[in-house]
Amino acid sequence: MSERATGRQGRGEDTHAVVRDAERRSEGEETHAAMRLLREEVANLVKAVPGPVAGISLRLGECALEVTWAFPQAPPPVLRPASQPAAPVQQPAAVTTEQAAGSPEREDPASYAVTSPLVGTFYVAAEPGAPPFVRPGDRVDAGQTVGLVEAMKLMNPVAAGQAGEVVEVVVGNGEPVEYGQVLVRLRTDEP
Amino acid sequence: MSFGRILIANRGEIALRVARTCREMGIETVAVYSTADRDARFVAYADRAVHIGPAPARRSYLSVPAVIEAALQTGAEAIHPGYGFLSEDADFARICADSGITFIGPRPEVMERVGDKARARSLMAEAGLPVLPGSDGAVSSAAEAERIGSEIGYPVIVKAVAGGGGRGIEVARDRAELRDVYRRTTALARRMFGDGDVYIERFVPVARHVEVQLLGDSAGTVVHLGERDCSLQRRNQKLVEEAPSPALSEEARGRLGEYAVAGARHVGYTGAGTMEFLVGPTGEATFMEINARIQVEHPVTEMLTGVDLVREQIRVAAGELLPFTQEQIRLTGAAVECRVNAEDPGAGFRPTPGRLTVFRPPGGPGVRVDSGFAQGDTIPPDYDSMIAKLVVWAPTRKEAIARADRALAEFAVEGPGVATTIPLLRALLAQPRFAAGEHGTGFVDTFMREEGHMLWSA
Repeated sequence: MSERATGRQGRGEDTHAVVRDAERRSEGEETHAAMRLLREEVANLVKAVPGPVAGISLRLGECALEVTWAFPQAPPPVLRPASQPAAPVQQPAAVTTEQAAGSPEREDPASYAVTSPLVGTFYVAAEPGAPPFVRPGDRVDAGQTVGLVEAMKLMNPVAAGQAGEVVEVVVGNGEPVEYGQVLVRLRTDEP
Repeated sequence: MSFGRILIANRGEIALRVARTCREMGIETVAVYSTADRDARFVAYADRAVHIGPAPARRSYLSVPAVIEAALQTGAEAIHPGYGFLSEDADFARICADSGITFIGPRPEVMERVGDKARARSLMAEAGLPVLPGSDGAVSSAAEAERIGSEIGYPVIVKAVAGGGGRGIEVARDRAELRDVYRRTTALARRMFGDGDVYIERFVPVARHVEVQLLGDSAGTVVHLGERDCSLQRRNQKLVEEAPSPALSEEARGRLGEYAVAGARHVGYTGAGTMEFLVGPTGEATFMEINARIQVEHPVTEMLTGVDLVREQIRVAAGELLPFTQEQIRLTGAAVECRVNAEDPGAGFRPTPGRLTVFRPPGGPGVRVDSGFAQGDTIPPDYDSMIAKLVVWAPTRKEAIARADRALAEFAVEGPGVATTIPLLRALLAQPRFAAGEHGTGFVDTFMREEGHMLWSA
């Protein structure tokens, strides 16, 4: 991952831009110059856009630029290269989506369902072979990451909305999930 | 080659309408839906459905990653975008291609070229189509706008380059007004479309809005399927569409068709599309814009030609050739479409979402109703207010209008707080100027000002 160019534009804590060279075959001078230019452009862009930027994806071949804004409820996505899963570049403060999705788990007041914030593929760990974020019986704090949902190569951390004990990780590693689908069940401390 | 499974990236009546054709073609369908639409008919109708996000469209129907992921998860080979939402988003079409999914629509480059309204104007002028005097591309300042205004003469119309759906358009009658209009439209365009560019054209006050339906295939064949007259509109929002246009002579009709085909060929158009024209009082037509999608009012053309436009869109996207030539397309009789919206004409057309305790669409000869709702459903407040399209066919225009009125009278819609445009539509159909086919695009606004207040005063 040494060939990945990473730059950040600070504009408040939740604003970050991750710049990556997707066309990693090209290593020449021209590419570096172009990337430098692009990074400057991104810096200007980040200053110009309203609201905090959650992620920026750049592609050099055919020149693609994608900006993601942070939604109030959704955690900012984290980029990773297309080919290999990797640990997130940084772990932003993930927020639960339970309010947005509407949890169907309401019979038991002490039961809390962590639901998927988007459509994608669910991962229980930061990378293949790594220990899972949570296992049944684990205690989690509110805001703690319990899994990742990948959508279009963006890794989106999923956080527990409340503190509690993990009862079950409902979805298997690498399985497709819908928006609002229950991923992890917790037994909360305070019903 | 054909598709085995298609994802429909839309909601409501158009999602259902596309799914119906897919079913007839033996293609499996995947619906995507937001939380607000979980009980909608189009979701139940599809073979599979994926919940892609919460009610706000930007996090569901407009979310490219959500739609693409849903397509990849379900193994959909193609995406039909319907109208609105992502249907004219060239970047989305490109991302589909990059993900190995066929976007059912024109090629992204073509979408881009015709989606920029100022650019489309110069492209069509190149292809030999008449265009109104106006700015050469986008206007960069208020001073430039004023210079162009005095050059081409007032009144002028200012339009957002990236606009659509009748939004981002305003008329200026003189120089002082143009200054304000320029400021307003650029600000609105920036906010609504993320692109503040506008262009200027001469405004034709008494004009008709006539559009030509096009189909093109990958071999470069382009045919037109006649026109639709959409002059009955309120503030650029269409209320009633009909075919054929009562304002065109056979000769003018033929010329419009030729223009449309020439323009589409010039940009390499494939799939279904519409070319919009303004037709002035003396029958002269000028190019307005190209809509690179299936349109709301496409059933009007289907009634007249017997061609299933969605079916042809899908076939062309799968690489098949058009199954008919221009000569084989026959336009028979007359068709009228009325848009039934859940809006209150007595309260400034405020949307009236709510539960449909009664919803009984009309039937009988020559009647087609495209709706995403059934009795007991709730109209969500999150999307557009159209609840049904009533389309009728009859041998003549007079009979079609009578049939439309008969069907509207049968159409029962009730619910707490729910009002519809049905009474307004009936009042408009009964207007002598509409019956005579002498109405222009300003007709409804004038009618509302002069008579509407009597019908809908509280």
